[in-house]
Amino acid sequence: MTSAVHLDGITKRFPGVVANDDVDLTVERGTVHALLGENGAGKTTLMNVLYGLYEPTAGQIVVDGTERSFDAPQDAIDAGIGMIHQHFMLVDPMTVAENVTLGTEPRKWGGLAIDRDQAHRDVERLCDRFGLDVDPGAPVAELSVGVQQRTEILKALYRGTEILILDEPTAVLTPQEVEELLSVFEMLTDQEKTIIFITHKLGEAMRAADEITVLRDGQTVGTVDAGEITREELAEMMVGREVLLEIESSPADPGSVVLSVDDLTVADDRGVDAVSDVSFSVRGGEVFGIAGVDGNGQSELIEAITGLRRPHGAIELDDREITDNSRRDRIEHGMAYIPEDRHERGVVMEFDLVENGLLGSQHAEPFAGNGRIDWARAREHTEAIIEEYDVQPPNPDAEAASLSGGNQQKFIVGREFAREPNLVVATHPTRGVDIGSTEFIHEQLLELRNAGVAVLLVSSKLEEVRGLSDRLAVMYEGEFVDTVDPETVTEEELGLLMAGERPAQGDEHR
Amino acid sequence: MGMRELPSIGRRRGSIVGAVVLAVAVGVVLRSVMGGPLSGIVSKGALSSTLRLSVPIAFAALGGIFAEKSGVINIGLEGHLIISAFVAIYAVNTTGSVWIGFVAGVLASTLLAGVFAVVCLEFRADQIIAGLAVWLVALGLAPFLSTVIYGSVNASSSMSFERITIPVLSEIPVLGALFDASPPVYLLFLAVGGSWYVLNRTAFGRWVQASGENPQALDTAGVSVRRVRYASVLLSGVLAGIGGASFAIDLSQFSGNGQTMIEGRGFIAIVAYLLGNYNPIGAFFSTTLFAGLQTLQIQLQSGFLPSSLVQTIPYLTVIVVLALVGRTRTPDAAGDHYESGEE
Repeated sequence: MTSAVHLDGITKRFPGVVANDDVDLTVERGTVHALLGENGAGKTTLMNVLYGLYEPTAGQIVVDGTERSFDAPQDAIDAGIGMIHQHFMLVDPMTVAENVTLGTEPRKWGGLAIDRDQAHRDVERLCDRFGLDVDPGAPVAELSVGVQQRTEILKALYRGTEILILDEPTAVLTPQEVEELLSVFEMLTDQEKTIIFITHKLGEAMRAADEITVLRDGQTVGTVDAGEITREELAEMMVGREVLLEIESSPADPGSVVLSVDDLTVADDRGVDAVSDVSFSVRGGEVFGIAGVDGNGQSELIEAITGLRRPHGAIELDDREITDNSRRDRIEHGMAYIPEDRHERGVVMEFDLVENGLLGSQHAEPFAGNGRIDWARAREHTEAIIEEYDVQPPNPDAEAASLSGGNQQKFIVGREFAREPNLVVATHPTRGVDIGSTEFIHEQLLELRNAGVAVLLVSSKLEEVRGLSDRLAVMYEGEFVDTVDPETVTEEELGLLMAGERPAQGDEHR
Repeated sequence: MGMRELPSIGRRRGSIVGAVVLAVAVGVVLRSVMGGPLSGIVSKGALSSTLRLSVPIAFAALGGIFAEKSGVINIGLEGHLIISAFVAIYAVNTTGSVWIGFVAGVLASTLLAGVFAVVCLEFRADQIIAGLAVWLVALGLAPFLSTVIYGSVNASSSMSFERITIPVLSEIPVLGALFDASPPVYLLFLAVGGSWYVLNRTAFGRWVQASGENPQALDTAGVSVRRVRYASVLLSGVLAGIGGASFAIDLSQFSGNGQTMIEGRGFIAIVAYLLGNYNPIGAFFSTTLFAGLQTLQIQLQSGFLPSSLVQTIPYLTVIVVLALVGRTRTPDAAGDHYESGEE
């Protein structure tokens, strides 16, 4: 039997970068194949080559035993390849059926009108055949992310896709939605469809895939059977060295309350309440985690605490009300902040590392005092951060923009921790960061905690919030659904909480 | 159609409030100024005049809907009206045919739309600036050509459209005006219904909406965003051209003083389709609101309020209504340039 896809010696060069270097990939028909690797390993580039978005510099693409060359996505679509991007390609105000049939609408009256009934029936039939639960008449804007993703899958199937590529499909899903997606995978492969999905999550690749191909630095490390490999082995393939996967955390020894938040209500940019009446406190020497699907008010809550957004309610830092105080006041009183969007708020991309290292301290001793900045000291400070946090390249004059995302993040973490804070507000501290750096950032956070610092952690990575937190709140639609012990809570319970299902009355975790 | 729930509720409430305030305001003005019966206001003549004044605005608004729904904000509708008005009069005079003049006016406006489309879609110009340029070019060019050709910024022709009067139906009190009008008015009814149909029931209409909401989605579905946008912008030129040519031929003249005879109707058209939330039928009714106020205003000028004050009534009302109606849902990608293959 011929393979569904065979990529042979694919090389893709961009000016100054080799994104794929002689990569091989073979995917059998009717299987789920995971393309696993860290950010920047070349996974997406490879799939864009297969989908006709990029022309390979060298190499062969064989689909169903026939050699192909794709000039545009349309050629790949014609060859039965469909791709679902991380950002969905859906038109919000249109219905599911309209989106699915966009560009190939069934017509009536000699093409003068869309046959909407036919479109509806076609979509319903597809749903039945592949066990997808989607209402063809619903406007996409009203659907949950999981259903929108299924709409994308329907779109691909409607166009006769045999080989479906998904780019990081679980990044935006709740655990329950991930389960549903995996069962959709099963239905699809039962009917001889082939699935390739890109991921950097080990656990997911092992659960969902039949075979896993690991990429590192643009090269194929190898292809393994998902059933015959351990997480540790897989992690080592990804990173190229042994990695400590489990977050090893000793029991917390909480001290006095450092941050206390009382009845906080925060409006979002549209003036709608994104956070309603949230109260909690974080003690020194503990990590308080907030889990939840992105967009449930976490960002607004953190912005209020860090002084970037005006809330109603009260925020106290070390028994001193700071609700309406400035950012500077907060920084001076020991609040460190790792922002969720490092480009927007963490670094100035056009500044070099010395300047970036100064951000937040530019007004204060020892870098400034009498109206001018002591650049020699600033440079020493940056060099120390680079050294301690292993920032690559180790060049204080490098522009922030020239660093990889992981290294920018390490630099931000280093700068913030160097403030000797008594409260660290860390939002998605390892988003887009490779496994090696993630491990390092986790260690640093725990070290601070052990030294008596209060840590407020927001992350959409379940493993991360569960592994690091001593107490874990789950946020849904602007409220804390419950606060649980991360040691004892199961992933399923967490998933239900993240979907807004409230625990039974008299729950013991409280 | 396709509106999100929240804004639509807000809109409906806003519309009701707006309508009530408007009705009260109009009532107060009428009572204080006229004192007498309102017989002159609601008449066949008033409706007829309202429809005539609606033609340029409504056609331009329909054109604006197509362009903006596809993602290209055509703020130069005023320019399309001006250029088509002048060219129509010139062509009527040179050929002696009303209909050849009409077609010539439409072609001139379409040509201008073509230039605008090339500048925006090929050269990635800012749509607002390019649109303003279209207006300024037409505002300068039409009176200039008139001066060169006729020796005056004003030009007139001796011909106009023949009225089409439908027997029996035109006898109905007041509403008879709908069946006793010049061809452009009938054309407008067709265009409003046709535009609604094209936008909501044809594949092209879906592509226009997708192109303005999420061009990447359309592109990956294998439809060229560039082609859809070209077609939409050219269509906006055709529709606005029909409006301008009809208006000038109907009055048998082009006058190029000041803001020309168009007097900001292209901009009012933008307000009209925003008020109508990009729905051709909504835009038509918003237009008749404005045109009706203009009719009223002309009649009120014989009263004792200063006429320059009375003339501002339609514009002030539009501002008030706009403020009250509040949010219109603008297409997500309106005003953004899109290049296939870009991230």
